[in-house]
Amino acid sequence: MNFFLTLVLTGVSVGSVYALIATGLNLSFWTTRTLNFGQGSIMMLCSFGFAFMVTNRVSLPVAIGVCFVVSALIGVVVERLTVRPALKRGGGSMGWVVSTLGLGILIQGLAAKFFGSQAVAFPEILFSVRDSVRIAGVAFSLQYAVVIAITLTVILSLELFLRHSRLGHAVRAVSEDAEFARVQGIPVDLIVVSSFVASSLLAALAGLLAAQIGGTVDSSFGFDLVLLGFVAGVLGGMGSSAGALFGGIALGIITKLVGGYISTAAEHGIAFALLMLILALLPNGFFGRNEVRRA
Amino acid sequence: MLEASDLWASYGAVEALRGVSIRVEAGRTTAILGANGAGKSTLLRSIAGLSDLKKGRILVDGKDVTSVPAHRRRLLGLGYAMEGRRIFREISVEDNLKLAWSFGPRRQSLSLALDIVYANFPILLDKARQPAGLLSGGQQQMAILSAATISQPRYLLLDEPSLGLAPIIVEQIYRYIGAFSAEFGTAVVIAEQIATLALKVSSTAYVLRRGVVVLEDESAKILKDGVAQSLSSQYL
Amino acid sequence: MKIRQDSIATAVGLLAVATVFAAAGWLRPGTVQLVTFVLIAIVLAQSINVLTGLAGEISLGHAGLFGIGAYVSGILARGGALDPLLAIILGAVGGGAIGLMLSYPAGRVREVYLAMMTLGFGMVFYEVIREWQDMTGGVMGLSNVPSVVLKNLSLLGVRIDGGDYLRFVVVIAAALLLILRNVSQSKLGRSMVAVQANAVAAASMGISPAGTKRLAYGISGVVAGLAGALYAHLVGYLGPDSFGLPRSIEVLVISIVGGLGSITGQVLSAIAFTVLPERLQAFAEYQFIVYGLILACTLVLMPKGIAGLLLPAPRFIRSGSKRRADIATKGAGEAAPWFLERPASSSVAVRVDNVTVRFGGLVAVDNVSLQIMPGRITGLIGPNGSGKSTLVNVISGVYRCTSGAVHFGPRLISGLSDVNIARLGLIRTFQDPRLVPSFTVRENLLLGRSRLWKHSAIAAMLGLPAATDDEGAALRAAEAVLQQTGLTDVADRPVETLPYGSMRLAELGRAIMACPDVLLLDEPAAGLSEPEVARLSEILRWLKTGGVTVLLIDHHMDFIAGLVDEVFVLDSGRIIFSGEIEQMRKDPDVVAAYLGSEELEHA
Repeated sequence: MNFFLTLVLTGVSVGSVYALIATGLNLSFWTTRTLNFGQGSIMMLCSFGFAFMVTNRVSLPVAIGVCFVVSALIGVVVERLTVRPALKRGGGSMGWVVSTLGLGILIQGLAAKFFGSQAVAFPEILFSVRDSVRIAGVAFSLQYAVVIAITLTVILSLELFLRHSRLGHAVRAVSEDAEFARVQGIPVDLIVVSSFVASSLLAALAGLLAAQIGGTVDSSFGFDLVLLGFVAGVLGGMGSSAGALFGGIALGIITKLVGGYISTAAEHGIAFALLMLILALLPNGFFGRNEVRRA
Repeated sequence: MLEASDLWASYGAVEALRGVSIRVEAGRTTAILGANGAGKSTLLRSIAGLSDLKKGRILVDGKDVTSVPAHRRRLLGLGYAMEGRRIFREISVEDNLKLAWSFGPRRQSLSLALDIVYANFPILLDKARQPAGLLSGGQQQMAILSAATISQPRYLLLDEPSLGLAPIIVEQIYRYIGAFSAEFGTAVVIAEQIATLALKVSSTAYVLRRGVVVLEDESAKILKDGVAQSLSSQYL
Repeated sequence: MKIRQDSIATAVGLLAVATVFAAAGWLRPGTVQLVTFVLIAIVLAQSINVLTGLAGEISLGHAGLFGIGAYVSGILARGGALDPLLAIILGAVGGGAIGLMLSYPAGRVREVYLAMMTLGFGMVFYEVIREWQDMTGGVMGLSNVPSVVLKNLSLLGVRIDGGDYLRFVVVIAAALLLILRNVSQSKLGRSMVAVQANAVAAASMGISPAGTKRLAYGISGVVAGLAGALYAHLVGYLGPDSFGLPRSIEVLVISIVGGLGSITGQVLSAIAFTVLPERLQAFAEYQFIVYGLILACTLVLMPKGIAGLLLPAPRFIRSGSKRRADIATKGAGEAAPWFLERPASSSVAVRVDNVTVRFGGLVAVDNVSLQIMPGRITGLIGPNGSGKSTLVNVISGVYRCTSGAVHFGPRLISGLSDVNIARLGLIRTFQDPRLVPSFTVRENLLLGRSRLWKHSAIAAMLGLPAATDDEGAALRAAEAVLQQTGLTDVADRPVETLPYGSMRLAELGRAIMACPDVLLLDEPAAGLSEPEVARLSEILRWLKTGGVTVLLIDHHMDFIAGLVDEVFVLDSGRIIFSGEIEQMRKDPDVVAAYLGSEELEHA
């Protein structure tokens, strides 16, 4: 029973990071119906960069600040140089999938060149691995707890922003009908770029948190996470915040349970199997709206 | 005064406007008539900045605004109720109004603006919290008009406001438009397929046919000569 | 005399094959191995070409399919358990099976979901290989695969050395290229491109988007699996790192640089990218950065890749079929309107019974009943927003009606998919031309023939006489349609270069090619000039003499008046008039609907 509970709690924590990534993917999906396939490189760059800076005695706030600023800039570049030109040319989804992926690989390649491609240990920032609290007789790492708290706060804040603020409404407006939004005076282009910036910032945060609980970062770090974030998003329903949260946590729990009772190697496999299952049976996910069949 | 001069524009692969020019004076209402596909919507879209113009200029009070991006035109005093009852369906009625007020030239406070809207269309107060997509066609059109006029625009473009609505609702809407334009001296451009409606509230009418202006005259005169007489050949 | 680009390609290809064959015995082992690698890379690139170049689907995990072929073949052949030749075949089959499995959601979900799925598949495959030690050797890899390198390869009992294997591979590669060119130039390839260009339009001609995509995934999987199997028996040792994301990226880069859709472009690109790393050690270090840059920029800067820069655009009709068509028409005189052989029918062509269509709270079509009589031209008109297009969408199966029924002859069709309704002979056109922009008029016309093809997919792939005869007949029919639509002079020009009016006429021609019993035309005269409208009227009269039933939606009254036998007027989703057009002009309800009633006094 203890084992089960440990796995579930770990799953919730890991899953909340997936939810964060899914929320980030949602943001650009809302405004442009695109996803940044190179999102993983942002996570990897931030994690490696942060670890590098901290071990070289850069102060915490500066290190975090640099990560966020760089991620934001990457977000702008992604929208301006890889998504917008591809969308303008039309021709279905091919263009931006390939070009965002390409940019991601480019960034990853540069990072590997600079930081080396060896796995790196991530410094302990939020408490230490040993700090824990007892819940129902099980030792629950405080790191996990903080990660859950941070991600829940971010996701809830975002949801509140979208529902109750003027800019949040503007984002929803652009998501529904960009042309009409223009007519209403909403600066659509600015909002689109901002959604990509926000998406990148969320990715950066998710990367840092995942690296913290994982302990190490290696070169496939980012891609794995993005994929899991995407599965979480599809599970919950692409484009839905509640869905992202549900999907992330559900995925986290399921993968950890499978990892614990069957084998850690099967974790990705089960995620992929889930993806296939959901796309086959319930393509809109649990909370999504009819994004699926277009007449 | 709003002036569109020698507009050439495409809609998809079709040349929808082929050298169209119109003038709308402040405080007057102008009707744009024509069958489906004549170019009425493309004309309004071009004035709003949504269509790429191959040739031609748009002038607002003498100033060339052709290259002003669409989302800045509200600040110039332009209001536009688009074809097909476009409104943000997932957002509540009141939030739609707030959004429209928020991104336009705020000539009055939000609470005052909302009060005026609800005074004109009490049903919108009842439905204020409902997503706009759940309203009936007529109620949606009221909301759309309220949003388009919430910043007291100096130029108002209306694309087929009567489309698919019952005569009683159409009456109500046209009354509102008339009263509004009289009070604020707005230049109103109404595009309608159903000619009589627009002719009754306008001073001038342009008839479009396949992207070209084929008739420009005083509305009163067309009505006097008999609408069916003058226009059915253009339509039927 | 025009030298066809296909003939040049075939000639060059045969020459290359012959050269390799002859030289195989004389080259150094290192070179032999390099050339074999190049050939395998060419095969792998072609697998992406089919999936992405033709069908427009992105695969980010093709290394997985490559790996399936390699491991299946390697494992089966190890220790002499199965003859390598058989193992190779099974490796290819394995790749195809997995490809089909991946394609299951195709046509039902957005493209991007499939792309993510392929990415997921690639990564999971990599992990499975690493973990499943008993089967695959895990991280240590699978060794002792019967192969050239280990000098223990024999096919069907015959000992094979490096040179022999090279000959074996070059023959397979050449055969494959021929088959893929056949695919590309057959109904299969054209369907794939059509579905990529506009899935709804493809469905309206009886092409199933889901089925077509699945076929593409299947073929792609078989080819990738084949490449993997050939690879396994070349190198003798399989390690998981050869089948991870980097490999998937590499294949994608080769394909995109080569130019998607061009077989020759892929060949050139595969050669370049396989040879270069050998020659440039430095390249290997910066590989990822370069690949990333290429992927990020190419589709925007140089969308058609090498092929776009150096080669003429690929064409989609095989020369063999053209020759058949030419032979037959020489001396045949005027091609007979083939659809005049239609059994006369006295029953109603299309019957709409109490159809209502509701979208949320909005009623677009309100309890409409009408009958379209066979062999006549019927008009359907009404002001904007009256529900005309919705009604046509319901009849053709694009929308479901909320209640009511539609019959096509004796058959109930409401509830059938648009693809199946089209296959029954009820064809529609759209308000905007939905042709494949890069196809010529002739190629677009052939798409219309989709529901009438008699030859099988296998015949298409192998270029059998059944296929070329069938296509030849179709090309002859296309000639007749070209003449009728006045497009003979521009028949071989890409439609995107034609003026709007010609595009509309080409689309009508495509619909005619389907030999429809009932033709639904959605605003065919919109945007046409006067002479083009006149030609359109002529074509419709010609169709009528052939017994085709036409439902015409349009606003152009002069055009309609001269053509229709009877007209239905819709307003706000209801029929307000049915009868002859002269009566309609005077009907007060109709006038009021369009122009407004004079009695709207209290406004």
